[in-house]
Amino acid sequence: MQERKQTTKYFLPVAFAMILFVSIVSGVLFMQNTLMKLTIEERSNQLEEMVTQIQANLDSGLQIHWNLVTGLNHAVGGTHFENTQELCDGIARLEELFCTDMYGSRVMLLDEQGTAYLSDGTAGIWYDINNLLDEKKRHTFVSETDTIHGSFLVFSQELDSVITMGEDNVRFTHIVLLKDIQTVKQYYTTTTYGGSAATYIIKKNGTLAYFDADDDDVIGARNIYKALKEVEYVQGRSFDMIKEQLDKDGIVAANILLNRTEYYYCLTSLKDYDMTLMLLLPADCVAVSTMDMMNSTIRTQTIFISAMALLMLLAFFSLLKVQRSSQMVKLEQETNKELNRLRMEAETANAAKSTFLNNMSHDIRTPMNAIIGFTNIALKHSPSPEIRSCLDKISDSSEHLLALINDVLDISRIESGKIQYAPTPVDIAEVSDSVLTIMYGCLSNRDVTFQTELEEPQTRYVLTDAVRVREVLVNILGNAVKFTHDGGIVTYSVSYHPGKDDRHINVRYRISDTGIGMSEEFADHIFDEFSQEEHGARTQYKGTGLGMAITKRYVDLMGGTISVESKKGVGSIFTVDLPMEITDACEVEKKDYSVGNADLTGLKILLAEDNDLNAEIAIVQLEELGMQITRAADGEEAVRFFAENPQGTFDLILMDVMMPKMNGYEATKAIRCLQTRPDAVSIPIIAMTANAFAEDVQASLDAGMNGHLSKPIVMDEVVKTIVRNLDRLAAAGL
Amino acid sequence: MKRLACFFLSCVMAATILTGCGNQSEKEGNTAENVESQAEKKEKVVVACWGNQMLDGYNQYLCDQFPEVEFEFVLAANSTDYYRFRKDHDDMPDILTVRRFAMKDAVLLKDYLYDLSNTELANTYYGSYLDSYTYNDGSVNWLPTCAEVDGIIINKTLFDEHDVPIPTDYESLIAACEAFEAVGIRSFVSDFSADYTCMEVLQGASIPVLQSIEGRKWRQKYESGATRELSEEVWLPVFENFFDFREKVGLGAEDASYPNGTPKEMFSEGTVAMFRGTGADVISFPGRGQDEVLLLPYFGQTERDNWYLTYPAFQIAASNKGMDDPAREKLILDIMTAMVNQQGQDHISYGKNMVPYKKDVTLELMPEMDNLKPYVEQNKLYIRLASNEMFRISKDVVQMILNDEVKTPKEALVAFNKELAGEEPGTEIVAHIDTGYSNDFTPEHGNQAASAIANTIRALSGVDLVFMQSCYVASDIYSGDYSRNDLAYLAKNDGGWPGLMELTGDQIYTLVEKTLSMTGNRGAVCNDSTLYVSSGFEMDITKNDGGYALNALTMDGRELDRSASYSFLIYGDRDWYMSKIMEEMGISKVDTTGPKAEEYLMQRIVEQGGQLEAPSDYIILR
Repeated sequence: MQERKQTTKYFLPVAFAMILFVSIVSGVLFMQNTLMKLTIEERSNQLEEMVTQIQANLDSGLQIHWNLVTGLNHAVGGTHFENTQELCDGIARLEELFCTDMYGSRVMLLDEQGTAYLSDGTAGIWYDINNLLDEKKRHTFVSETDTIHGSFLVFSQELDSVITMGEDNVRFTHIVLLKDIQTVKQYYTTTTYGGSAATYIIKKNGTLAYFDADDDDVIGARNIYKALKEVEYVQGRSFDMIKEQLDKDGIVAANILLNRTEYYYCLTSLKDYDMTLMLLLPADCVAVSTMDMMNSTIRTQTIFISAMALLMLLAFFSLLKVQRSSQMVKLEQETNKELNRLRMEAETANAAKSTFLNNMSHDIRTPMNAIIGFTNIALKHSPSPEIRSCLDKISDSSEHLLALINDVLDISRIESGKIQYAPTPVDIAEVSDSVLTIMYGCLSNRDVTFQTELEEPQTRYVLTDAVRVREVLVNILGNAVKFTHDGGIVTYSVSYHPGKDDRHINVRYRISDTGIGMSEEFADHIFDEFSQEEHGARTQYKGTGLGMAITKRYVDLMGGTISVESKKGVGSIFTVDLPMEITDACEVEKKDYSVGNADLTGLKILLAEDNDLNAEIAIVQLEELGMQITRAADGEEAVRFFAENPQGTFDLILMDVMMPKMNGYEATKAIRCLQTRPDAVSIPIIAMTANAFAEDVQASLDAGMNGHLSKPIVMDEVVKTIVRNLDRLAAAGL
Repeated sequence: MKRLACFFLSCVMAATILTGCGNQSEKEGNTAENVESQAEKKEKVVVACWGNQMLDGYNQYLCDQFPEVEFEFVLAANSTDYYRFRKDHDDMPDILTVRRFAMKDAVLLKDYLYDLSNTELANTYYGSYLDSYTYNDGSVNWLPTCAEVDGIIINKTLFDEHDVPIPTDYESLIAACEAFEAVGIRSFVSDFSADYTCMEVLQGASIPVLQSIEGRKWRQKYESGATRELSEEVWLPVFENFFDFREKVGLGAEDASYPNGTPKEMFSEGTVAMFRGTGADVISFPGRGQDEVLLLPYFGQTERDNWYLTYPAFQIAASNKGMDDPAREKLILDIMTAMVNQQGQDHISYGKNMVPYKKDVTLELMPEMDNLKPYVEQNKLYIRLASNEMFRISKDVVQMILNDEVKTPKEALVAFNKELAGEEPGTEIVAHIDTGYSNDFTPEHGNQAASAIANTIRALSGVDLVFMQSCYVASDIYSGDYSRNDLAYLAKNDGGWPGLMELTGDQIYTLVEKTLSMTGNRGAVCNDSTLYVSSGFEMDITKNDGGYALNALTMDGRELDRSASYSFLIYGDRDWYMSKIMEEMGISKVDTTGPKAEEYLMQRIVEQGGQLEAPSDYIILR
């Protein structure tokens, strides 16, 4: 089937190519053939015209001689001569009287037996006597016999009155004018062809009567018609056709090949004389100017046709190319279709993965929330040293597990394109400061010298994604601290460089350490996923192997570059270049990242949480901060509690998302829609959910919530979010 | 002692013969192989010879000119109809020759013959002669060799002896006849038993009439097939002239029966003053030995009406069979060219008694033909009207005139026209030959067709032995139906005569030996195809560079008894071969009155309804 398709696929172009080729060749051949025919026709016509003219000349010339013969007939007919001598003298007188010399002619009388008498005596029986035996009285033919030496054109006339001679009355029946053939030449010879033309006088039976030419007889045959029958005709004609036309029209021209040379011949019947005149000459000599013109035309047309053919070929190839492109496009479309299908499959798979990740995230974070929450609660109840040790280990492990989960989720989200670069106006110096704040916290229990080289930026305010920048830097610095032994040095430097134009700068972060360093081979793969150098340090330096891959992705996302120089046992230097657009200072939102000493005592919280453990943890930790908690076991219950209690019963709602009966989004929308409650619109509703992704945040906001806290909850974040929302509410005078 | 010597010699001879026999078969095998392999290498060309004259040096000349060619010569019946017979059997010879020729007859073969019109060979001919051989479509099949001249041969010595003036016109001819008759010498005789003589004398006596414009016009019509009757305007005067000539010369029934040899014998004896003959006859029959002989024209009323009668010694043509092979075509044309070029024509005319038609040939006339020269210059050479029917009917009508069966010229004209209007006799199927035999010669079996005919002649004639030249059998013997004419064509030739004699074995040895070594004679052997065929005895012959040599003659395998007497029938040329061989052997008694070969064929096949005798292996050629 595939083979058939393939055959079908090539059949049309090949067929088209063949048709095109055949058409061009046919066209050229047809044109050349047509021109050739026209040329031949033109040449033939010219030759026929020439021969017609010759024929007219010859007719006229012959008629003059016939007039002469008529005069002789009248002059001598009926005469009686006493003897041969008297007869010969009589012939001599006739010749003198009629000035036959002028015509190159002689007079001859024939007796009944065919004995010829001339002015100088008898010439015996005339060999050509048999030419006079039909019923005609006049005969014209070529005579070339031994009777009278020479070649003559004979004009024989049966005498109206017989001549007699002697006592026996020998009867003379015919008077003959013998015209030297050389003197006839003027009537048939033409100078038009520069002496190239050969003249043949042909008898009725096709045999040669006389040949005249400057050159040799190229036909070289006695039976001319037979020879013409056997030669090759250029235009596929045959002598039978030629002869038929000759008999019909009295004149015909044709071109033939003789000894591989093209010749033209023209036959014209001299019907009154039972002879045919043939002019033969090389084709080169016929219609020379016409031929030049024709050749020029043929040349021009050949060039034109060649150009056309070339163009057509180009067109064809273009067409072929277009067709091929079309096929390529088709192929591409098919490929794209396939890719789309694969993409859709991938998207479906990705969606499934996202759903899975979301579910996993939610499902892992929910018990993690419980573990971390309860560990923190347990630690706050002054456990024994052994139990504290255990709880600390649980806490560390939980945090590590949470970090692992976050990394895995992050890389997955990056790959699926869910993480977008969202630049906002920031004070770039503040970003570094926040990084340093984080890092100082990490260095609290390490003996590592942390040095900073912070250049003062000329322009502090830029558009960038501060969260991603911070994440990148914290990742690199975290590794630097992690892989640097105590006593080592970690240096963090920031410098600012001109960007691609005045509106941009390039911020270069350089983090160097005197840590364990990396091999050259590993350095080449440090940004690959799950790449960790095997140096037995895995247990010592725990990680997922995804940190640097995530970092690289973030740098790429921001249009920057990251490179590393490292030497095993000496240390590493990471350089991050990030282009940033300069912005105005007024656009930078001042954020307060400090939790401060917010007093949340007495704050009435409606907690919508279906999971009992999570609900308990949240209640314990929130209540520790003096807040009053009312728990709703699902969304529906939350809506009912809010609706059934008077305004002011709750200052804020913490809303889980994934709940039975009614999820958090629906519940939020339901609350916001309670028109009977003026606070339904203003009451802060904050999502507190294991759905921790950005789209989850957006979904919460879209549902009408005012904030998003992801599980496992971090109380500082909880407090900060609560405070921010209460401040906003207060600011709004609500 | 003598007996002992004889016994010893006999033993040696027997041993030699036995030894020879022992080696003979091996040698024979080798020889046959050699001969065959030589023949295989040679290109075979079949030449049909119009008459046995060609055996006299001409065929030998061709063999000498073309040693690479294996010629097969056959003595064709001198008639274009013979070639029709060969054509009917799809067996045309490669080269055809014929003396009796008319375009009227030849046109029937046109499609089977090669067109010579555009060959170099044709270009060597005078145009006016060539025109006579040109068909309406310009093609030319036949070309003439040289002109045989026919007229009245006179014994000038006899004229002088009797003080009779040499005739210059018809009147003086009659006067001379009367003068000779007055002294008891026959003035003019001719072999009126021969059709050609009847025809030639009839036409010769009236050439001015036949050559007049009216005569020419009629002839042209007749030869083109436009008429099948004699024009009264032209031909009545012809018969009137013949009646007048018969009367004044005194020709009668006796003359009607004269065979070819009789007038010549009489002329040679001096008992006749004039006879119709050719240039060749002038050479062959010089009167009484030392007499002066002249060839005079046919006389007209005035000297200007005198004409010689001529005809080509023979015409040649080629079958178009195989001519599409250029090499074969060239070979055939080369052979034809050799046949008519100067050398060839020298062999035809002895170089002095004929007139050439070709530009490149010069033939000197012998003194006896001096008076021909002005006629040649004046072109007063009448070419006989020689269609097959003209020969036949001229003989019939002239014999009727001589036998006084028709009384007036008008009756003769009517009789002639009656025959012209009738069907040609001898064309109906009268016989059937069951078994065909090849005419090819092989060293092992000889010519089987010739052997079959020789055996048939021996069976019918009752003679002990028959000896004839195998080329007298003119073609393969085809199995199938035959008309009389076609049957005759198998072995019909004017020159073939039976000669019956009694010979001893020894004489037969001599005769065969002399025959094989004979040259310059119409019985000469020039190659295998012209070897003789024997019936009743076998010949053991060796072929060598010089010709053929006889080794032995056997009868049923045993050597021919040299002392025994045999009735021996020779079939060959009576005047040339037989006379020569008889003279050399001192034999004078030969009976030549028996049937000719074609008559034996008629007798056996037609009259008896029988078949030919089976051929025999009559020859061993080494």
